[in-house]
Amino acid sequence: MTLMVLLFLTLILVPVAASFHQVLGRDTGWVAAVSLTALGLMTLPWIGPIIDGRVYEESLPWIPTAVDVNIGLRLDGLGMVFLLLVLFIGALVLAYSARYFSPKKKTSDYYVWMLLFVFAMSGMVMADDLILLFVFWEFTTLCSFFLINRSGAKAPAPAQRTLLITMAGGLGLLTAVLMIIVNTGTTQLSAALQHEIWQENGTFTAVVAVLIAFAAFTKSAQFPFHLWLPDAMVAPAPVSAYLHAAAMVKAGIYLLLRFAPVFEGVMIWQVILIGGGLITALIGALFALQRHDIKEIMAYSTVSQLGFLVATIGIGTPVAIAAAIIHVVAHALFKSSLFMMVGIIEHESHTRDIRELNGLRKTMPVSFFITVIASLSMAGIPPLFGFVSKENLLKGFLSAEEEGIFGPGLTWTLTLLAVLAAVGTFAYCGRIVLGAFGSYRGVGKKDAGYDDGAHQPIAEDAAHEAAPAFYLPALLPAVAGAILGFIPFVFDGLITRATQSASTSDYEPYFYLWGGISTDLMLSAVIIVIGLIVVLSRAQMDNLIPRTILPWTGVAVAEKMRTGSIAFGRKVGDSTRTDMHGLHLTAPGIFLVGIFIAGIMAAPQIGDFTEGHTQMIDWVLISLMAIFLIGTVVSTSRTAAVVLVGGAGFMVAAWYFLLGAIDVGMTQLLVEILTVVVLVLVMRKLPKKFHPVKRSRTAVAAVVAIGFGVMAFVAAFALTGRSGRWTEGDGDRAPVGEAFLTHTYDEAGAINTVNSILVDFRALDTFGELTVLGVAGFAILAVLNSAFSTSDNVTPASKSWVGTPLDHAKDNTTAMRSVFNWMAPFIMLLSLILLMRGHYESGGGFIAALVLGGFFALRYLVAPSDSSVKLRFDYAMIIIGGIIISAAIGLAGFVEGSYLRPIVLFEGLPLPWGTESGFTLTTALIFDLGIYLAVIGAVLVALDRLGQAQRYPAELLRAHRRAMGQKTGEVSTVEPDYAVDPGDLPLEVEVGNAGRDDQSTGEGVDSR
Amino acid sequence: MSIAIAVGLLTAAAVYLFMQRGMVRIVLGFILASHAANLMFFAAGNPAYRAVPYIDGAPFEEQADPLPQAFVLTAIVIAFAITMYMVTLAITTTTDDDTENDEESPAKVLYGERRPRPVGPPADAGISDTGDTEDVAVKGVSTESGEIAVESGDDETGETK
Repeated sequence: MTLMVLLFLTLILVPVAASFHQVLGRDTGWVAAVSLTALGLMTLPWIGPIIDGRVYEESLPWIPTAVDVNIGLRLDGLGMVFLLLVLFIGALVLAYSARYFSPKKKTSDYYVWMLLFVFAMSGMVMADDLILLFVFWEFTTLCSFFLINRSGAKAPAPAQRTLLITMAGGLGLLTAVLMIIVNTGTTQLSAALQHEIWQENGTFTAVVAVLIAFAAFTKSAQFPFHLWLPDAMVAPAPVSAYLHAAAMVKAGIYLLLRFAPVFEGVMIWQVILIGGGLITALIGALFALQRHDIKEIMAYSTVSQLGFLVATIGIGTPVAIAAAIIHVVAHALFKSSLFMMVGIIEHESHTRDIRELNGLRKTMPVSFFITVIASLSMAGIPPLFGFVSKENLLKGFLSAEEEGIFGPGLTWTLTLLAVLAAVGTFAYCGRIVLGAFGSYRGVGKKDAGYDDGAHQPIAEDAAHEAAPAFYLPALLPAVAGAILGFIPFVFDGLITRATQSASTSDYEPYFYLWGGISTDLMLSAVIIVIGLIVVLSRAQMDNLIPRTILPWTGVAVAEKMRTGSIAFGRKVGDSTRTDMHGLHLTAPGIFLVGIFIAGIMAAPQIGDFTEGHTQMIDWVLISLMAIFLIGTVVSTSRTAAVVLVGGAGFMVAAWYFLLGAIDVGMTQLLVEILTVVVLVLVMRKLPKKFHPVKRSRTAVAAVVAIGFGVMAFVAAFALTGRSGRWTEGDGDRAPVGEAFLTHTYDEAGAINTVNSILVDFRALDTFGELTVLGVAGFAILAVLNSAFSTSDNVTPASKSWVGTPLDHAKDNTTAMRSVFNWMAPFIMLLSLILLMRGHYESGGGFIAALVLGGFFALRYLVAPSDSSVKLRFDYAMIIIGGIIISAAIGLAGFVEGSYLRPIVLFEGLPLPWGTESGFTLTTALIFDLGIYLAVIGAVLVALDRLGQAQRYPAELLRAHRRAMGQKTGEVSTVEPDYAVDPGDLPLEVEVGNAGRDDQSTGEGVDSR
Repeated sequence: MSIAIAVGLLTAAAVYLFMQRGMVRIVLGFILASHAANLMFFAAGNPAYRAVPYIDGAPFEEQADPLPQAFVLTAIVIAFAITMYMVTLAITTTTDDDTENDEESPAKVLYGERRPRPVGPPADAGISDTGDTEDVAVKGVSTESGEIAVESGDDETGETK
């Protein structure tokens, strides 16, 4: 098995588990646990070679641009330690999940995100490409966000705060990664770390050190970013156990260790890490002693332990690095176990508050045993594994003096601070065990509501023991921690290699339980003695420790930033939000002025137009267009204005034909016809005349309009249509245009260059446009399905011919209908021909679809009533089908290397179009078919939904609702409450209980 | 030169229509503005070359630049779709496509700010009722609703009087 295969298998596990979930429900956790265990066992054979000095490396090209970005994987000792943690702790936690969630709870998305996290984390510790490292890093952040976000109504705000903080760190990492790539010229992590620039350019090294530390601090919840971790405790216990104790928060530690070799002896690195780490370790312990929620205590304890690790890495001696690595292992074992125990306690006693928890020692003996072992390990009591790792941490601190990094004074100061934090650890371990399982309530005089009777202890026999399948996953790591304490030397080989990966020395650590009397052992004894005293005098301690230290909390600050940024975004949006639509011309106007000024500046040097630029026929068209435009502007009748605009559109279409753009001209012509048809159909619902406006307003509008027109003219005149003096080459045409004319035949086998550009050369662009088209279609549907409606304005004038022959719609359309019936097959055939021949002659998907749209429009015009042409099929599906066909056929392009690349399917087909070698069928034609369908769908939406009279007079609607026994004026409005959550829409309207369940089939109402 | 003039004319007409009252005139202005933008593309492609840009269809020296044509072709269809969307907005109002009738503005009606109904029999009397919002508007009313007696003036919605 290779690294790639391993990574791929973790990814494949996601859909596999999701499909198992259909059958097994929450028991999917067992499947996932077994799979991860199997994967973990498969990695074990790598350990031997790695200890012998081998490094596994693999690489696949990913983005082979100027800098080769690869899917480069590399597994050394350091990566191996983290990989084992990710897989095995993951297996335990997933097994635990199978019993943690109630069978009724929806867990499918939970397993998907958990397993995606396994994939992301495995990828991150193996990544040997800086870009890949960043991608996986952010991926773990996202998984964490979704796992927090899915846990209940209160979760979104903490999830967003967590995301904001960790994403900020991600941006820091991205900056660092880009700086490294630019300065070393490689994206390969291992190569970049070997580069000599780290020694040569001190500024660069310092800046990157700060950025890396920033990223790691946010991820590993270090002061002042520690607040997200307790905040994230809204997530369920398995998420906390895995992401927020064992794995994700260790990503920051991994990053620090990975970059530690290049920052050895860098002053700012040491200051940030040791300072930030020790502060975090101390305040984490202090906060843990303040809290009553055992999960919150656990969270602060994790923060504190991570602070220890960061400070140790900051010391940077090989001894310290080795200690940090072994403590990562020890912490993952005892903390994942403890978090799982929190979940069990909450499950069995329905509370997490130590003031309420009571008597669990007797009712939950196994849980008590597990928690005690894990807590003793965390407190550093021999002979547990946590004792060994803590001993080593102290050794690491003390080694600063031996290695000559710090003087004895500073070394001892730091060590004593660490000892103080360790005493804190001991104290909160006691708080957890005694608080959760005994009658200890952890309240002091400084507690609000010190003895007001809230949080009464539960009855001694209220809780009961969990099922073995539930506590077994928590028992295993706790017991492992107990056993490993006696045999810590099993890690010697692997951690030796890991230490060598994370430092520049060849140091070979040796781990042991008992190594004779030494300084660190004495310190451990001191910690235990003082710790015991603190635990025994816990009542006095509770009276001493203040419950609030600062007048504000970090979470409140983060919340302010979150709501503030959203409110700021709203403010920015407000500047373009106006009811006076004329003001929307401001921004385009500013840009137009810019182009106008550019045109004026260019005017002295523009030179002459190419000969033949303006032709006689142009003036004819312009004159006609001007007449239509003037008519449009002065017209007070809606119908007249619509027809006049259509006339101007025909002039433009005619001009396109004269400019050699047959396809564009045809498109314009068809679109113009369809537009006029739809607009005329719509007009009958609106008053005949436009709204009158004041004379003064007309004057202002005219002045502004002329100003815009003049500026547009000057810009167009000065900046376009000249010889290509600013381009390379001697031709007057743009080189790109000439290139298309020269190469289209050779490269795409097409004759119609315009169509070929659309479906061969710029297919991705066209695909984007299709999507826009589809979105517009759906927007129309959505608006019509949900908006206000008005009555058709049946004007008295239209009633004047009631009773006359003009009113006989059916008879009046007979002649046209017979013509239509005769023409219909030909129009359809024409449409298909235009589609097929697009590559060779004028035509293509757009034009063919519009021709078919014309067919439907005609069908409309000849129909005696709206309802008789009501479409019986779902045009929304046509849009979707078209987009899917286009997107799917693009995949075929990968056969020859890239998305949407046209692939030749058949050559030399005997069709009437084509080159001398016959008609060539490529996937481009199928792509064109997708265009065809999407455009037809959009046209049908417009015709069918806008053309029909299907809206209701408000009176009718109200009468209907009254008849249904509903109150008519029942609109409750919700004022936007920025304080609660400005991320929500400001406007929420709830309409009684009407509507939603009342969707009868009567979509079309012929109100005539 | 000629295209530049056309662009100027179309822009002026479009801007004039934008500044009028009523959604339909804005839509018409949008159509004209899209013409102006499209012609601009052709101007950029140098309109001195006017032969059809098909391979071997016309002398190479006279063929037009096909790239602006391809751009404009899709732009026309997209502009059509957007036009239809704007038309939809024009007819999904309380009364007509007026953009400036303060009293009837959807925001006002939705927020429940009601004003005394104007005296006299305006054509849209009673429409400012706040009841007909959202989902209920289009769906759910069958053709039979036409038979329900409409008693104008019998308004129980408690408008401020």
